[in-house]
Amino acid sequence: MVDPAVLAKRARDIVGSDHIQTGAAAAAFAVDGIAPGVLASPGSEEDVSRLLAAAEELEAAVAPWGGGTKMGLGAPPRRLDLVLSLARLNRVVDHEPADLTATFQAGMPLAAVQAHLKPKAQFLALDPPFGARATIGGILAANASGPSRLGYGTARDLVIAVRVVHADGTVTKGGAKVVKNVTGYDMNKLYIGSLGTLGILTEATFRLYPLPVAEETSLCAFPTLEAAGTAVAEILGSSLVPRAVELLSAGAAEMVAAPAGLPWAGGQVGLAVMIVSVPEAVRAQLNDVAKFCRGAGSTADHVMTGAAHTACWEAIREFPGPSAPRSLVLKGSVPLTRVPELMSRGVGLAGQRHLPCQAVAEAGSGIVRLYADALPAPPERTADYVETVRGVAAELGGHLVVLEAPLAVKRRVDVWGPVGKALRLMQGLKTQFDPKGILNPGRFVGGI
Amino acid sequence: MERQRKARLAAALRAIVGQDGVITEEDELRVYECDGLTIFKALPELVVLPRTAEQVEAAVRLCYRERVPVVPRGAGTGLSGGALALEGGVLIGLNRMSHILEVDVPNHRAVVQAGMVNVWLTNKIAGDNFYYAPDPASQTACTIGGNVAENAGGVHTLKYGVTTNHVLGLEIVLPDGEVVEFGGKALDPPGYDLTGVFVGSEGTFGICTAVTLRILPKPEAVKTLMGVFETIDDASNTVSAIVAAGIIPACLEMMDSLSIQAVEQGIRAGLPTDAGAVLLVELDGPRAEVEALLPPISRLMRQNKVREIRIAKDEAERLLLWKGRKAAFAAMGQISPDCYLQDAVIPRTRLPQILHEIAVLSREYGLRVANVFHAGDGNLHPMILYDGRNEAELHRAEELGGKIMQRCIELGGSITGEHGVGREKRDYMPLMYTEADLEAMRKVRQVFNPDGLMNPGKIFPTSKSCVEVGAGGRDRIGYRPHRLEVMGLAQRF
Repeated sequence: MVDPAVLAKRARDIVGSDHIQTGAAAAAFAVDGIAPGVLASPGSEEDVSRLLAAAEELEAAVAPWGGGTKMGLGAPPRRLDLVLSLARLNRVVDHEPADLTATFQAGMPLAAVQAHLKPKAQFLALDPPFGARATIGGILAANASGPSRLGYGTARDLVIAVRVVHADGTVTKGGAKVVKNVTGYDMNKLYIGSLGTLGILTEATFRLYPLPVAEETSLCAFPTLEAAGTAVAEILGSSLVPRAVELLSAGAAEMVAAPAGLPWAGGQVGLAVMIVSVPEAVRAQLNDVAKFCRGAGSTADHVMTGAAHTACWEAIREFPGPSAPRSLVLKGSVPLTRVPELMSRGVGLAGQRHLPCQAVAEAGSGIVRLYADALPAPPERTADYVETVRGVAAELGGHLVVLEAPLAVKRRVDVWGPVGKALRLMQGLKTQFDPKGILNPGRFVGGI
Repeated sequence: MERQRKARLAAALRAIVGQDGVITEEDELRVYECDGLTIFKALPELVVLPRTAEQVEAAVRLCYRERVPVVPRGAGTGLSGGALALEGGVLIGLNRMSHILEVDVPNHRAVVQAGMVNVWLTNKIAGDNFYYAPDPASQTACTIGGNVAENAGGVHTLKYGVTTNHVLGLEIVLPDGEVVEFGGKALDPPGYDLTGVFVGSEGTFGICTAVTLRILPKPEAVKTLMGVFETIDDASNTVSAIVAAGIIPACLEMMDSLSIQAVEQGIRAGLPTDAGAVLLVELDGPRAEVEALLPPISRLMRQNKVREIRIAKDEAERLLLWKGRKAAFAAMGQISPDCYLQDAVIPRTRLPQILHEIAVLSREYGLRVANVFHAGDGNLHPMILYDGRNEAELHRAEELGGKIMQRCIELGGSITGEHGVGREKRDYMPLMYTEADLEAMRKVRQVFNPDGLMNPGKIFPTSKSCVEVGAGGRDRIGYRPHRLEVMGLAQRF
């Protein structure tokens, strides 16, 4: 551990005393119970660079902090001296509406990004959870995404350039502010999803999309996940172009239907399909969706527009909502056809362990999120659940990551799961980019 | 390599791949001395043609032990000299590894060997009403492994993205012979995105032997229309207007008057030779959507003084509209002895500006420049026409090429949108990236390829201090079109 007084002095010289916190104020930024001695809020990329150079010299462990919405992601840090808040780096760097590109600083909240783009009828096609507070840098570091990834992909598809401050303070860029570029290695991919372990993102340039002219949603009820899964396969295999296809376990479907003002028969699972296009094509596609659903045995079909449509997707994106307990969140990823099975087994195995659990799946992308209330259960039981579901995901041809869990559970499981022989290369990258291991040490795969 | 050592190496490689899998004779090696950019040449000392991933692994292990450079090669259609054995050594041709290993339609995935030809996958799954989206112009010849190495584009990238957006998993033989797998059928594998980092690494990180791809259901409808314009400004403004209207067509392709004239002297695709530009727009998706978007696109064309709009009524007419565009590059041979093709990118809004600047530079240098480009994503392919027999003209062409590239970067662009850096543009890298930017890239290479034995001499500038703009000698430009290109049946970009 680095002497907080020494670190605080160095940081104060760089960002000024107004932008430094120590003691209890810094401790509020603890990561998995490990409190930093110092919190620094740089006001510029140059500040970030100088802070990191100082940290590396002192061998102080650094955790970058955006909106703080994903600090539960990753293993508990091995050590932590300095939290580097990107909150002040929150500006629009440039926006070329006619090029459909824009550059934002890393600390800018996604909600502010969308508010900036809306007057030009454009948007950034990312809809991760915690949309109100999540920042650009945090979303990229975690490679967070939401239901609309089916239509637009994830950050790895939308980011065209980044600026990064490396562990020694060096600043580099990756990519270019054009939508097509193969000059040199695709460095953007390296940083996206690296959880701040290779460098700290200071800005990112995105390709944007025009806001859709019309969007509507069909929410269908099914007696079983298998039946709903049949409808999903039909829809995905057709020439329909849904922007999002979500499967909801029975309890989840009820929780999504309520804010949308829809009646929901108990025990019915849900299938939500969002169509985005010109109005005539939205209607034609929703008719086809309804046909596929009826053919697969749906028991109810609700078409939503306007406020109900918005409320439905907000409920899915922010599931299970601020008031419900969400102490354990798992993200499984499997081939598309195995989604219903991972959902039902994930919920079933939780039930056997008396963990109340709901499943929400991006069925068009093979992503299954399991939300369980694990706080009342002993951590051993929850850890056993995680390992068992991970085994199921592997059996189905995929993998599983713990997005959020009580600390006692995180200490008992590998939150990331195995990465195979590729770990050697990943460790090599870490050594090259952060030889002293100051960036988020211990939080990433294989102890990186 | 001395003769004895070469013979020993050849024998050891034959033990791995069989008698017919090793090429040692110079006349046969000549086939492998260049790629689609025929002016850079380097003769490999041996060529190995493995049939399995295990054979690739064994061959690479052997070369690593012997400290022999290795260069992977697909179909050799690349346009940046990326598959050249610049330091001699062993070239590993993946063409015999051309199998589709698995088609998994319900999961929207296919697993193919690296040497599989791009279009074969689409042909194979057409009956299921699926296709593989990235469609580089050379798709009837180029291999998936080469597409992965170069992060190949195509004409439909505006809507569907490039190779990296469709590759989900890779099986790789690292330069030391170790086999690793990244990703797979399931999305978001934990850890660094090594699949994403590998795509576009131009064969410098290892040899990919198998690739897991995303396949897509075919769109319900496709509509192609062509606008004929008096000036290239009107056509460019139409592109901006379409994008501003919130429409993202599957592609937006443009040709200028010189390209049109060349095409009509060659294959006669029915383009009006007095036009300033033609703009090709293709829409695809649900029928109702495509039908609804046609009228606004026609209206935007009319608002920008279009002279004539042609809409393809059927597939035959659609292919006719495309024919001229596809033949454009090869047609340059009709109007000029030599042609220097470039691949630069600018932000879409800078299109009119860069075209004006290219026209001014063209007059200044006394050389004609034809323009054919992917207008939707700002990917230019200026073609500088010159006579290589005239030494002074050759030098002017080179200098002009460098000027254009420099201006593209000054306008916020990139030196290559889809062809790659390879041998051709390695010394231009410092125009775009700082030494620190390049150093970060070298660190990644250091992890994958610490000994530098895998595809040496590519991507990175040969000398840190030397930025050659428009330099490179006579061998950097020449190009001879294939007969299929002249006929408008195949194209290079």
